[in-house]
Amino acid sequence: MRLTVVGAGAVGARLARSLLSDPAVTAVAVDEIDDRRRAEVLEALADERASVAAEDHEAHGADVVVLAQPAGDHVERAQAALAGGAHVVSLSDDVAEVRALLALHQAARVAQRTVLVGAGFSPGLTCLLAVHAARHLERVDEIHVARVGVAGPACDRQQQRALHALSIDWRDGLWLERPGGAGREQCWFPDPIGGVDCFRAARPEAMLLVPLFPDVQRVTARLGTNLRNPLLARLVGRRRVPADGPPGAVRVEVRGQGPDGYETIVLGCMDRASVAASAVAATAALSLGEGAGLRHGAGGVAELLEVLPVLQRLAEGGVRAARFEGSVP
Amino acid sequence: MKLLRRAVIAIGIAGFGAAVLRLRGVGGTPPADGGWRELSGPELS
Repeated sequence: MRLTVVGAGAVGARLARSLLSDPAVTAVAVDEIDDRRRAEVLEALADERASVAAEDHEAHGADVVVLAQPAGDHVERAQAALAGGAHVVSLSDDVAEVRALLALHQAARVAQRTVLVGAGFSPGLTCLLAVHAARHLERVDEIHVARVGVAGPACDRQQQRALHALSIDWRDGLWLERPGGAGREQCWFPDPIGGVDCFRAARPEAMLLVPLFPDVQRVTARLGTNLRNPLLARLVGRRRVPADGPPGAVRVEVRGQGPDGYETIVLGCMDRASVAASAVAATAALSLGEGAGLRHGAGGVAELLEVLPVLQRLAEGGVRAARFEGSVP
Repeated sequence: MKLLRRAVIAIGIAGFGAAVLRLRGVGGTPPADGGWRELSGPELS
């Protein structure tokens, strides 16, 4: 299996290492515009299967192209990869970009390839957990997703943009756009993260989850921040974010009718966002390379892959989901 | 002038209310009981 990783930041570098740990992988090409960073990553990988991606690598060669660079050009790179006959895995969490990637559905079907959209920590693991929780219910009414933690400086910038853009939620059959950075709600994440103030933000989860649950009434997504109000973030200036990001967590609350009455199931996961995101993307890419995609076209990771095998593989790699047991506040 | 003063006061009160709602939000009650347990075995099969 030959793979290309575009972007060698906090996630891309870990992703390349994860891919190389699979013996079925014969080559991993790293495409990074920063020459010094690319050289550092290749030196750290110290594996003869790792190489610098050729300029025209998208035209031929790779079985799967993983887009782990900051949001911006994922659509163009995905189109080029499809033209070259590769499956695509994108980690973008930018709403407009996710929407445009999902619009590649027909092109991917014609090319008989799969475009996995939002295959990271959130979206990605959050969608897998939502589908897994829904297995215990007969009818899903509401899904509420929250995430805290960044994978690195680029991820932090993206989150700041999301907190100042319009959030997109699903409510009673309609898309609802409301200002980001408002609507504070304290969400409780797996230990040791605990309670964090979460705000509405431009997150693509609802766009990826609604197609999976046609009868769902509400889908919301929030971002956690330690600042009391994200508007203060602009006043106090940019935070210094470690290259690998601090520990983070996701939380997915699914409400609906269960066999014994109305239930609320809360699943979550605590890990460094860069670790979890790279694990999800690597698992998704390897699954596609092995031909485990459920169908051709564009869609979320929980839509185009079998959820349980992916969660099992993630657990084997150390990214373990947890369930909250007790009274949900 | 009186009308203008009333309008300014009304806008001020509305703004203050919106700011309080924005900052205060909802939630904040820690779980009364229970805790997180890792999924394993049959829960992942």
